Amino acid sequence: MLTGTVTTVFGDDINTDDIIPAKYLQQSDDPEFFATYAFALYDMAFRERCLATPASIVIAGKNFGCGSSREQAVYALQYNRVACVIAESFPDIFYRNSLANGLPLIVLPDRAGIAQGDALDIDLAAGTIVNRTRNTRHPFTMKDADRTTFQAGGMTARVRAHLEEILARQ
Amino acid sequence: MPHTMAEKIIARQVGRLVQAGDKIDRLPISKVFFNDVIGPPAIKTLERLFGETFAKHGKPLRVFDPRRVFMIPDHSLPAFSVAVAEGVDLMEQFSREQGLRCYREGDGIEHVVLIEDGHIVPWDIVLGTDSHTCTNGAMGALAFGVGTTDGAYTMATGHLYDFVVPETYQFELIGAFPKGVYAKDLILHIIGTLGAGGCSRQVAEFTGDAIRRLSMDARTTICNMAVEMSARTGIMPTDETLLGYLKGRAQWPVAPLVSDPDARFANRITIDLSTLEPTVSFPHKPANATPISGVAEMMAASQARSTPDFPAVTSDRITDAFLGACTNGRYEDLVEAAAVLRGRTVHPDVSFVVIPASRRVYERAMDEGILQVFVKAGANIESSNCGPCFGSHMGVLSRNAQMISSSNRNYQGRMGSRDARIFLGSPATVAASAIEGRLADPRKYL
Repeated sequence: MLTGTVTTVFGDDINTDDIIPAKYLQQSDDPEFFATYAFALYDMAFRERCLATPASIVIAGKNFGCGSSREQAVYALQYNRVACVIAESFPDIFYRNSLANGLPLIVLPDRAGIAQGDALDIDLAAGTIVNRTRNTRHPFTMKDADRTTFQAGGMTARVRAHLEEILARQ
Repeated sequence: MPHTMAEKIIARQVGRLVQAGDKIDRLPISKVFFNDVIGPPAIKTLERLFGETFAKHGKPLRVFDPRRVFMIPDHSLPAFSVAVAEGVDLMEQFSREQGLRCYREGDGIEHVVLIEDGHIVPWDIVLGTDSHTCTNGAMGALAFGVGTTDGAYTMATGHLYDFVVPETYQFELIGAFPKGVYAKDLILHIIGTLGAGGCSRQVAEFTGDAIRRLSMDARTTICNMAVEMSARTGIMPTDETLLGYLKGRAQWPVAPLVSDPDARFANRITIDLSTLEPTVSFPHKPANATPISGVAEMMAASQARSTPDFPAVTSDRITDAFLGACTNGRYEDLVEAAAVLRGRTVHPDVSFVVIPASRRVYERAMDEGILQVFVKAGANIESSNCGPCFGSHMGVLSRNAQMISSSNRNYQGRMGSRDARIFLGSPATVAASAIEGRLADPRKYL
């Protein structure tokens, strides 16, 4: 069960340059570094709202995370204690990067009825979002394999097992 | 059963028939490349995640196949900071240890040099740690961007995991471009029509009679921007032009590839190139496209209905111009811009930066006197790299700037200040606008 508060509601087509501007990308290899500059040019109060909240949930429209393949965008969210992103849709590269780091992405075609400040309980296994602030319930679907990967925090264990197979054959 | 190009490529890699929607647990990859933004953290991630696994087997850490892995420092070169320089050092050292190719600083942009060097061929599955890896689809490869972790996984095992075979959106291109209209105008028009998410998760396949008349440089421009409508990638069928380009160049076996005519396409659309005009995209997204004749109307719309990604534009003045990037920094792009600029000068209020996309492009443009046209007109020519498109050097924008750029993204803050306004256009439109100091139609100069 994921529990958190909606600290931001974005519109459509939020890109990864919005999430973490390019000028910070080559300043550090430490994933936590990027949290400081999350939405630095787009929404300067984003980090403040996240810091004031134990677990943040980001709500967005279509195509959240489009554009550049920079995985630092995922770190910038995770290290601001963003527990999950709920959006109408996500493009491929950002979706894969989030899978790789265990940042759950939930596709919700209709996000009406969820607003900033709402407290949500999210059950990935059951596929339900309970809005405790408004006493509403939003079902969603997620592929089993993706849920497993989100919950495992990535695919590294599987890739290691594959590498073991390869090395054992050599 | 008929199949799309994407389905055929994946089927060949996994050794069984597949169709859109199928999940592939382990997808073998043909080539993978890394730039200086993601290369250094990817190398460290590879060592951190898999160093022990190699050690357990008593083996040194090795990439899956050094002939298929490339390091290409191209974003922030020559290094603008100590951190960048040390990242490049790591790429060079790792490449020496692993016996793989690391390009030199200034050799050019990743999506240009691998194609020039014959490393990308039809049927390849190509990963690059950059979203514009889709450029390589012009070669008939299934090519797309990945992040640090997927890149590190692929270096270790040569595979991508949990890949879903994508659907295909087919764009049939017919007719011929009118004078002054180019591949860039076409792709901006398409993105404007479909929107930033209009081709989400689908392969954008560009086909039709018109493609046959387009050069490889024009084709790469079109595929380059497929990701700006959130396509999985762009791809083009094999024809005589591609085979001619690969002849004597390809470092890998070449076999032609096209979709079956009766393959299942998620969408199809026909576009007549003869109906297009020079097109520019307004800030802050490529999908804000308008024909050049509609600039005044678009400005009025931006003032009446401004949004965070369609801010009010109150003037068509231009203070900065950029010709270059993986979109439009190739030989023909420079030729097209030079045709507009020859014998004219850059407007006194405009800073015009020109960056040939690779050392080969640079040398050819130098040998043929094309660079002279830019220098004499008052432009600044920089060494081959991504330049101001990455927002860190070689022309970072002030809050007052209005930039016309041949690159692919005009996001807020993309090239510097969050208050700068970036417009996208063809090389000819960039040159015409640099001359006039305002958004300008290139046709009057041709």
